[in-house]
Amino acid sequence: MFDSFEHLIDAVSSPVTIFTFATAVFILFVTFPRQLTSKWVSLGTLFLVLAFFGIGLTDEHFRKIVSTPDNVPIVGLMFIFGYFTWFAMKKAVENDRRIEKGEPTVEQLETNDKVLVFPYLIFIEFVIALAYGAMLVIWSLWLKAPLEEPANPTVSPNPSKAPWYFLGLQEMLVYFDPWIAGVLLPTFIIIGLCAIPYIDRDPANSGFYCYKARRAVIIAYLFGFWILWILLIIMGTFLRGPNWNFFGPFEVWNVHKVVPLVNVNLSEIVFIKWLGVGLPKQWFIREWPGFAVLFLYFAIPPAVLARTALKDVYKKLEPTRYLVLVILLLVMIALPIKMYLRWAFNLKYLVAIPEFFFNI
Amino acid sequence: MPRTKEPPTLYSVHKTFIWFAVISLVLTFSLAAIVYVDYVREWKTYQKKFIRLKTDRAKKELKEAEAKIDKKKLESLEKQLKDADAALTSHSSGRMSLEIRLGRLDTEVTKARSQTQNLKQFEDSAKYFFEETRSHNDPKASEYEKKLKELTPKLSQAKLNLEKLEKEIEEKQSALNGMTAAEKSIQKSIDRVLEDKNRMERKIKLIEPTLAKDILNAPMVDFIAPSLRIQQVVLEDLEDDYHFTKVQKVDRCTTCHLGIDQKDFSDAPQPFKTHPNLDLYLGPHSPHPVEKFGCTVCHGGNGHSVSFKDSAHTPHSEAQMKEWRKKYHWEELEKWDAKMLPVNFTQAACAKCHHGTVEVPFADKLNKGRKLAEVNGCFNCHKVSGFENRWKVGPDLERVGSKLSEQWIEKWVEDPRSFRDSTKMPRSFHLSNTASPEDRERNKTAIKAIAAYLVKNSESVEFKKPTLSGDSKNGEKLVTELGCVACHTVGGTAIPPLADNRHGPELSGLGSKVTSDWLHTWLKNPKHFSPNTRMPNLRLSDQEAADITEYLLSQKNTTFESKPPVEADPKVMDELILTSLEATLRRTEAEVELAKMTPEDRLQYLGKKSIGQQGCYTCHTIKGFEDIKPIGADLSNEGKKDIHQFDFGFTKIDRTRQAFITQKLKDPRVFDQGKEKSYYDKLRMPQFNFNDEEIEALTTFILSLSEEHIPLQMQKRLDLKEERIEKGRLLVSKLNCTGCHALDGKPGSLRESMEDKGNAPPVLDGEGAKVQEKWLHEFLKNPATIRPWLRARMPTFDLTEEETKTLVEYFANLAHEEVSYKGYEIPAPAPERLEAGKTLFTKLQCAKCHEINAASTAMGSSFLAPDLTLSRERLKPEWVKQWVTDPQVLQEGTMMPTFFPEGQSPITDIFGGDAKEQIEALRDYLYTYEKAPESQ
Repeated sequence: MFDSFEHLIDAVSSPVTIFTFATAVFILFVTFPRQLTSKWVSLGTLFLVLAFFGIGLTDEHFRKIVSTPDNVPIVGLMFIFGYFTWFAMKKAVENDRRIEKGEPTVEQLETNDKVLVFPYLIFIEFVIALAYGAMLVIWSLWLKAPLEEPANPTVSPNPSKAPWYFLGLQEMLVYFDPWIAGVLLPTFIIIGLCAIPYIDRDPANSGFYCYKARRAVIIAYLFGFWILWILLIIMGTFLRGPNWNFFGPFEVWNVHKVVPLVNVNLSEIVFIKWLGVGLPKQWFIREWPGFAVLFLYFAIPPAVLARTALKDVYKKLEPTRYLVLVILLLVMIALPIKMYLRWAFNLKYLVAIPEFFFNI
Repeated sequence: MPRTKEPPTLYSVHKTFIWFAVISLVLTFSLAAIVYVDYVREWKTYQKKFIRLKTDRAKKELKEAEAKIDKKKLESLEKQLKDADAALTSHSSGRMSLEIRLGRLDTEVTKARSQTQNLKQFEDSAKYFFEETRSHNDPKASEYEKKLKELTPKLSQAKLNLEKLEKEIEEKQSALNGMTAAEKSIQKSIDRVLEDKNRMERKIKLIEPTLAKDILNAPMVDFIAPSLRIQQVVLEDLEDDYHFTKVQKVDRCTTCHLGIDQKDFSDAPQPFKTHPNLDLYLGPHSPHPVEKFGCTVCHGGNGHSVSFKDSAHTPHSEAQMKEWRKKYHWEELEKWDAKMLPVNFTQAACAKCHHGTVEVPFADKLNKGRKLAEVNGCFNCHKVSGFENRWKVGPDLERVGSKLSEQWIEKWVEDPRSFRDSTKMPRSFHLSNTASPEDRERNKTAIKAIAAYLVKNSESVEFKKPTLSGDSKNGEKLVTELGCVACHTVGGTAIPPLADNRHGPELSGLGSKVTSDWLHTWLKNPKHFSPNTRMPNLRLSDQEAADITEYLLSQKNTTFESKPPVEADPKVMDELILTSLEATLRRTEAEVELAKMTPEDRLQYLGKKSIGQQGCYTCHTIKGFEDIKPIGADLSNEGKKDIHQFDFGFTKIDRTRQAFITQKLKDPRVFDQGKEKSYYDKLRMPQFNFNDEEIEALTTFILSLSEEHIPLQMQKRLDLKEERIEKGRLLVSKLNCTGCHALDGKPGSLRESMEDKGNAPPVLDGEGAKVQEKWLHEFLKNPATIRPWLRARMPTFDLTEEETKTLVEYFANLAHEEVSYKGYEIPAPAPERLEAGKTLFTKLQCAKCHEINAASTAMGSSFLAPDLTLSRERLKPEWVKQWVTDPQVLQEGTMMPTFFPEGQSPITDIFGGDAKEQIEALRDYLYTYEKAPESQ
């Protein structure tokens, strides 16, 4: 019935289109938060998403992937995270409007009426806890835990997937060397999250939802969370099939699918394609373009930004904290940059030193 | 709770209360749901159904039992009982007083008994202390002695008292019994009449659902003593292999299959049906009792599970699958590898424990599959552990050039069936994956090259021309009579039990195949042309050979002859050579290499390449391929091979092993369908043209190939004797002994086909007990005539020493005899004994049948018997005795008369009619027997 629609979606689906589309939606969202959180746009979006799922469920393959007991929470995750983002933004937009008009924020209004933690808050929390308990019981009765065959050391499941919360990391493995995707980036994520309260010490605008006053910070966070984490988890769950090949949402997961992987290193582009000479034998000569790019990437922007766009920030944070912030941001942005480099130029590694398993 | 002004947003206590109420309800519901989901199980439904079934059956039986009761008899008995009762009441006073007295006595006896016991204990104790103290010279000894002396008389008095009371009871009781005896015996007869009915009533009471049982089966209390419970067999010696650990097998199949080991449910609906073969399986006296073997070790599946789906039932057909989907919500268990074998392949499991034998008893399908695999040379291409000792099924091609013309080989290789429909040679060319016009050209070129290679690499052999002119009519007769048809089908002379006469090739159209020189030489001595052939030497005379040659060559296959010759395209040949060379060389180098080759070189190169590629050398011995490994995949673990390792290609069949194997046997190249592959990368298993039944048998066999570990004590292990028998069985199968002889449970095809069994090859059952090993050894190497009237001829097999020994040991062990090459000497008998033997020999007219002359031949061949002059070397003395005593015991249906029925001799004047002595004397005479000089 919806065959042509499904084929169209499959045809346009690829990591690059989905990533770009999601980024575009994200940019739209952070640019026009008021319009996009308005009643009709929100309902319309919800309707579109539900319609997509509704149509999707008519497809056997889509249904199978979406309704697999371990994938159901991810479907829930999409809606729950979407809702909370929408909710927060809606509140922020409302407060921004009030601040603009000089009215007190919603939270300020609420804090005028005070109730006691006990029994009022505790009671609500208790009811919510009960509700969660009931929900978990019913869920576990309805969807049985998937029991698989006994583990066999000679047979690896295909696709071999990480637990859902690590699928973002597994997706990064496509673009980065394991030591970066598996060690360096997760470490940066943890350190970065820990560092937030030390970097953002500004007490102004805290204690209530707001957007305008904290735009840059919110955008940076939401980009990292939604695009670089949740989106990758969703892609890893629903769109990565056997051999970690990419499949459209309605495409059958064929184990034998073959896609060309013709990736080249930066050194090969520079020395062979551009200069037309062979690859130098010494790795430090061969890899200097990569090192140069990296050096430029991490040295120039902080210096330039400190003097231009982020002048005030630099002043406020002082050099150390400023440097930490900028490096963290640069590392975060490095992920999409690398992804686009791969898609645009088939770039494998900027620096590739197989001599001692060091690739960037 | 203090009620204040409600804050504006979430803080409505009232609403929270409502939510609390709602969620409490939901929680209560979820609790009920937990109990419900946990309680309602598929297997309980089946157990309830089974109880109903069992009760219904018992009730029906009860009705039958009631109907069977002799009403009249019952009535009269009841009347008698009433009368007896009335009679008893008439002198009730005497009975009453007796009963009262007995009641009193009972109390007294109890009292007396306890008194005696008490006294006994005190006495024992006093005795101990007295003995103990006395041994230490303790002064207290005297004290204990006194005590003991006091107690002993008391105890004996008490004993006496007790005995008296007991006696009185006995007397009174017997008096009472006397009064009620009549009544009791009538009651007993009534009970006997009602026996069946009462038994059924008790049974029903036991199984019928009751309120008490329902309560014990209710949720939450069903842990105490439920009547519905999971049934399981824990198997001590069998394990489930979970890769990292092995756990004891636990089979819960009987939770639902409740009638499986009970005889009465053979007509019950599934899952209650009785196992179809209780004598062989499950029964406590069968070789596979359920407590020891369980179910899943044979059937496969998940024995732990008690639901239809999770126990991995596998449907045997599309129709059953549909039925199951509807009835049991069946679906394929994707994540479970150890699925049940569909019933039509269950025999595959037999081989888990039964290996090392040529056949598995009662596993017809598996045996058939094995035999088919052996006959069609599966083991030539595929390595299968346990079957490495099989022979090459195709003829030697090392001398083929002097037998066949190149053109004939080409046409044959292109399509063997065009010459002979029954051939076992599979087709390798023009199959589904090489049927495109381009591939056809390539095939033809390859065929041409193969023929050229074979002829070029062939030794020349000298042939003996037939010196006599042959008689085709006589040849036809000879072919049937001599026993050629036991192995070969000749000109449509298929003998009824076709089983064995596909052993050799069908002999039709030979006139279009070989020359008379070749055939004549071959018939005279097959090993002259092909040293490794299994065809034995029938020791034909020149005339016989000439006759048969004439007859066989008279049959021609004109359609084959008129088939157009195979043409090779030099361009295609160059292309194929280049493709092949490019595997190791660069294109330019390959071109240089090709340019260096003469046309003949090219033909030879491609021939070798094609033979190697198609694997011709695996079944045929071909020069240049002596040490090359076979082309087929190792099938040793095919029955357990991971399903992902099968390449189903684009076929639309089930993703199961059995579906794959079946499809592969139907069309071996089908998995190339829809794939882009170069000529040399294509699948190359040839087409055998098996029919559906054969495919099922072969699939069963292939599924049986697994390296699954079964603990040694659970396997069928062969002892030395059995091993020798199996070795012999394999050789018997290789030589096709059962093509002629009845042996080891097989009737012998040639023998079966003959109406007059007197003319048929002899029965060999019990041969090991009958003949001496030394003689048998000699005979097998060099057969001599024993039954001169037989037209069928025991051929000379040119067995090796090893093979001869194997056969001798096989026969001996089959008859539970020890192998002894020493011979069986008997002590030299006294002359009068010999004289007696001779007299008996004459009186019993042994020579009438055992001597071949005009008179005996006139009686008809079924009356003829073996030459007795051989007895001394041939027969075992013990056997002769048994044979003469009762031939029917040793060989049912033999024409040898029983002269000594039940150990009685008909001749009374020798040894006083002692049959034993007489038989011995007869035997002793026989061992000195020499044929009377040619009479007349």
